[in-house]
Amino acid sequence: MLIYDIWFLFIYMFFVGNLIFVSKNKHLLVVLLSLEFIVLSIFFFFLVLLMFIDYDMYMLMVFLVFSVCEGSLGLSILVSMIRSHGNDYFQSFSML
Amino acid sequence: MNNNSNKMFFLFILFFSTLISISSNSWFGCWIGLEINLLSFIPLISNSKNLLSVETSLKYFLTQSLASINFLFMILIKFSLLKNFNMNNIISIMMNSSLLMKMGSAPFHFWFPNIVEGLSWMNNFMLMTWQKISPMILLSYYFNKNFLIFMIIMNLIIGSLGGLNQTSLRKLLAFSSINNLGWMIFSIMISENLWLFYFLIYSMMIFMMISLFFLMNMYFMNQLFINNMNFFIKLNLLINFLSLGGLPPFMGFMPKWIIINFLLINKFYFLTFIFMMTSLIIIYYYIRIIYSSFMFNYFKMKWVNLLMKNNMSLINLSSFISISSMILSTFIFM
Repeated sequence: MLIYDIWFLFIYMFFVGNLIFVSKNKHLLVVLLSLEFIVLSIFFFFLVLLMFIDYDMYMLMVFLVFSVCEGSLGLSILVSMIRSHGNDYFQSFSML
Repeated sequence: MNNNSNKMFFLFILFFSTLISISSNSWFGCWIGLEINLLSFIPLISNSKNLLSVETSLKYFLTQSLASINFLFMILIKFSLLKNFNMNNIISIMMNSSLLMKMGSAPFHFWFPNIVEGLSWMNNFMLMTWQKISPMILLSYYFNKNFLIFMIIMNLIIGSLGGLNQTSLRKLLAFSSINNLGWMIFSIMISENLWLFYFLIYSMMIFMMISLFFLMNMYFMNQLFINNMNFFIKLNLLINFLSLGGLPPFMGFMPKWIIINFLLINKFYFLTFIFMMTSLIIIYYYIRIIYSSFMFNYFKMKWVNLLMKNNMSLINLSSFISISSMILSTFIFM
């Protein structure tokens, strides 16, 4: 049935988000963006999944709250890194 | 910014996050607990503004957030494929992998010695003991036996061979922690009571060692040779190291003994061999440190003056427990 082909979209989005997360990037912000992309794919997946069970979307809201908290935590670490290193390039990691 | 009330607040939330995670009715509650764990641990470790602490918190955040997002995706896939039991193997492998990445276990362990190198001793203690509770209990809810036995073997080998070329005490304890994770994951597969027993004894031993290193302000191995420690403090250190390695008269041997007993009764001979051999390698590099510090390189420098400001009675009591608890426990059970 055509309606079940939508699962492939979620898995593809999730996989591409993970691929960009683990790839070598110049900036840290790209990694955080890929994390948000994975969150977006899970949001979409969750939405479609919950639509099959009688329209109770409360879980989705709780998930959204926690994902936003995590995204803002990532951004705050980015800010802290820029304050100490001066940029957000991955080449400036040489201490550990 | 050394603010004790901030730390108390975040420690409180950290404590409750583990409780949320292990006592939830659904997998979604477990994920929520893991997220709150991450949210409250990052402020604890990114407390100062130097380069090392920022890099440490960044690496910790990236690996842990990736693992928990993958965990949630696998939960959703598991939920959407309710009657399709053919996918159980793959889903359980993926969920176990994400939990193993949260713990710092073997194929996903590369962040762990790096981060341990950048943290202070008390933060290391939290990372090595408390942060392992909730992934391990979640692992016990849905594990894949064949996959986990393979991971255990990798844990043991990497934990023992990785510590051979280390000079930093923090990285040494990190590889020892990876090795002990192998033992602990196997004890989860036996029974949860045994895991609790092993975990309590392991965290007590790690606490003794870390508090000794914290009081001495020691981060590297050469600091063990050139300070002016009292004889009994060095003896304490010797006993704690040997107990952590699992030598028989000390307390650290007892949980390993029970696990080996189970292994031999149920005929897991190859696994027993690997457990034994990797334990030997670990004891080798502990003994290498201790014999050098205690017998061959025992210098008492006159210009180094170590003031013991804090009360040592807790450490003395704990090393007494470490020596005598195996023998005392036979008095209880006989």
